Amino acid sequence: MGIAEARALHPQIEVVESDPQADRRLLESLADWCDRYTPLVALDGEDGLFLDISGCAHLFGGERGLLDDLLTRFFHQGFDVRAGLASTPGAAWAAARFGKSDVVAPGEEETLLAPLPLAALRLDKDVQAGLESVGLRTTGAIMAAPRAPLVRRFGKAVTLRLDQAMGRIEEPISPRLPVPPLMVERRLAEPIGLMEDIEALVEMLARQLKAELERRVEGAERLQLKLFRVDGDVRQVSVRASRPLREPRLVQKLFHERLAAQQNSLDAGCGFELVRLCALETAQLEASQTDLDQGDRNAEGDVALFADRVRARLGNHAIRQVRLVESHIPERAAVLVPFSADCDLAPSEKASSAMSEKDRPSRLFDLPECVEVSFAEVPDGPPLHFRWRRAAYRALRAEGPERISPEWWRGGEAGATRDYFRVEDEAGRRYWLYREGLYGEADTSPRWYLQGLSA
Amino acid sequence: MAQSARVRDVVCTLRHQIAKIEGRLAETLQKRPGGLPSGPAAAAHLVRTGIESFDRALGGGFPPAGLMELYGTASRDAGAVSGFALALVRLLSNRVDAPLLWIGNSEIFREAGRPYAPGLAAVFGLRPDGLLVAEAERLADVLWIAEEAARVDALRAILLEIRGSPHALDLTVTRRLHRRALLSGFPLLLLREAGEAQPTAAPLRLMVAPAPAAPRLTLAGPLPGSIGPPAFRVTVSKSRTAIPASFTLEWVDDVFRERHEHVATDPVPLVSASSGRPAAAAAIGKGMAVERLGARPAAGFQPAGEQYPTHRRAGRKG
Repeated sequence: MGIAEARALHPQIEVVESDPQADRRLLESLADWCDRYTPLVALDGEDGLFLDISGCAHLFGGERGLLDDLLTRFFHQGFDVRAGLASTPGAAWAAARFGKSDVVAPGEEETLLAPLPLAALRLDKDVQAGLESVGLRTTGAIMAAPRAPLVRRFGKAVTLRLDQAMGRIEEPISPRLPVPPLMVERRLAEPIGLMEDIEALVEMLARQLKAELERRVEGAERLQLKLFRVDGDVRQVSVRASRPLREPRLVQKLFHERLAAQQNSLDAGCGFELVRLCALETAQLEASQTDLDQGDRNAEGDVALFADRVRARLGNHAIRQVRLVESHIPERAAVLVPFSADCDLAPSEKASSAMSEKDRPSRLFDLPECVEVSFAEVPDGPPLHFRWRRAAYRALRAEGPERISPEWWRGGEAGATRDYFRVEDEAGRRYWLYREGLYGEADTSPRWYLQGLSA
Repeated sequence: MAQSARVRDVVCTLRHQIAKIEGRLAETLQKRPGGLPSGPAAAAHLVRTGIESFDRALGGGFPPAGLMELYGTASRDAGAVSGFALALVRLLSNRVDAPLLWIGNSEIFREAGRPYAPGLAAVFGLRPDGLLVAEAERLADVLWIAEEAARVDALRAILLEIRGSPHALDLTVTRRLHRRALLSGFPLLLLREAGEAQPTAAPLRLMVAPAPAAPRLTLAGPLPGSIGPPAFRVTVSKSRTAIPASFTLEWVDDVFRERHEHVATDPVPLVSASSGRPAAAAAIGKGMAVERLGARPAAGFQPAGEQYPTHRRAGRKG
């Protein structure tokens, strides 16, 4: 039916363009919200969710209680949902879409499925059409039919789907998110929205988590805080520690910085009703003897904690350390990488070649800056006059050249040979300049760049 | 933090009592973290540079901890200013294993380049694993990092590099930084590239400019045309003694050495007239930051028209 025809029938209809990506996002946010019932939530096609509630139902007063709670909450959020609950994903799928009762007791799959149409078996369109063309129109008819001719004519999918629905073959669902090793949560009778309340709750949850972590002799390296808003929105905040930790105060400090950074995007709305703290990654952490004056934190630990807080607040690139790389190209020889406490920082034998050279600048530009050189000794002498950032400089003294060839073994863009010069201007500022290419080699004259400043 | 400081204080008192009972010297124990060195005790802690006149101008030497300000007049002098700061760290701090934290906003790192570990290792003996670089786009975040870092007593030193003269870096903030750095016991060097002198809580302010380096020394004497160890033109702009002075220092083999200008072998004017640097005479005698600010308004500051006397306003053109 076209829009014009539809409008002729119902003039008041509203036309909205379909937006599959937005639908997908909505489904994913619903999946996030369903996380409150079980960590095993999988997406099913474009309009369905699978929840594996093994071992979770008793927390909500049994299967019936869970289903009622879920349906009520979805209803209040404004969604019209249909749900089915069964021992197998196939039977639950059929019950949700075609069944009369939503909870299917174990062993009753056959009575549920028998009267249903073939669509309840999750078959491909052409297979279903083929089955219907030979008169097999209900699931019951397929159950009754001999299996061997069915498989020969329509493939294995038919019997596989039937067996999966009946529970004769195990069907795993693939959850969207990995299940965190540890999580603690707190359901709140009165929703909270203030930062201080959330932080206090985080510390309380971290205390619960600590007991569990101590039992496992582990510490958390990555922590996630999930905040379930009253209206069904789920906010996630995660922090990373560069060394395993389980001290509630430290966990709270990290989240304090992270929450402070996200204060604007973390819209509490009407408040959060469920707060969950998950340890996403854990690592072994032996208990250590604490000193009387709490001097147990060694020097490195303190720096690591500080770095973690900076990273939690300002992002991973806010604090970085140096990593030396075996390379002749100056900008490649020492790179800044995000801080990590356990990374081996001792300069290796290989990288020490970059360190032995005396005349490297103390500061290096991210990208070498283009310099206009009006006078230079040809073919391979230093520049005598140059312009950098629209100011003219006269080079009084120069040392060089130091020739650095491109690293051809890396492949890709080879670049040109660089001749480096240390240059001092009239005021005594020392620059590190290089000429890319050689005079007289190509048609174009070589270009000059300023790469660093020396002390 | 506050609680741990209190606990430490109690433990320290108890240790002192035990030491007294046992007849040991309480001074061998760690010093009380709450007490700041002051008076003659502080003078004993001062680190001497070994240059008599420079030490005298500084009032005995450099304080080993707390806030110090280093000014450079233009971004292109950042190499010299940061070089002098690293030399100072080398001189003042003997915590070689602790990392040095270099904080800057993205603007200054774009403008003057990021720290380059191989160069720092060669000249200032700073190991690459002893350098942490912190960076943030906004000045408020940079100051937050600095204030938090000043409490981490496991650092060797902090270099806080800021371009220009922002209002956010006022007396209150610098006082807080100074106090925290004193308690943590390491130097916090405030590097202000292309900045104007502002009132801050730092007890010491030096203007740093590059100076032509002496030629390299070889067995056959100085090598003409070569560029030797880094040299700095340092003007003491604010210090305890308020003795105005200006020095040309060289950083040779991990010590400062003074170079007298008439010895300079290069027939070059030491400071270019065009660099926008205030003449040495202008800096001398203006020890107080407040006076400097009044004496020479910041570059961006234009008085409103009403402030000019009428006869001047009439005569002003362009």
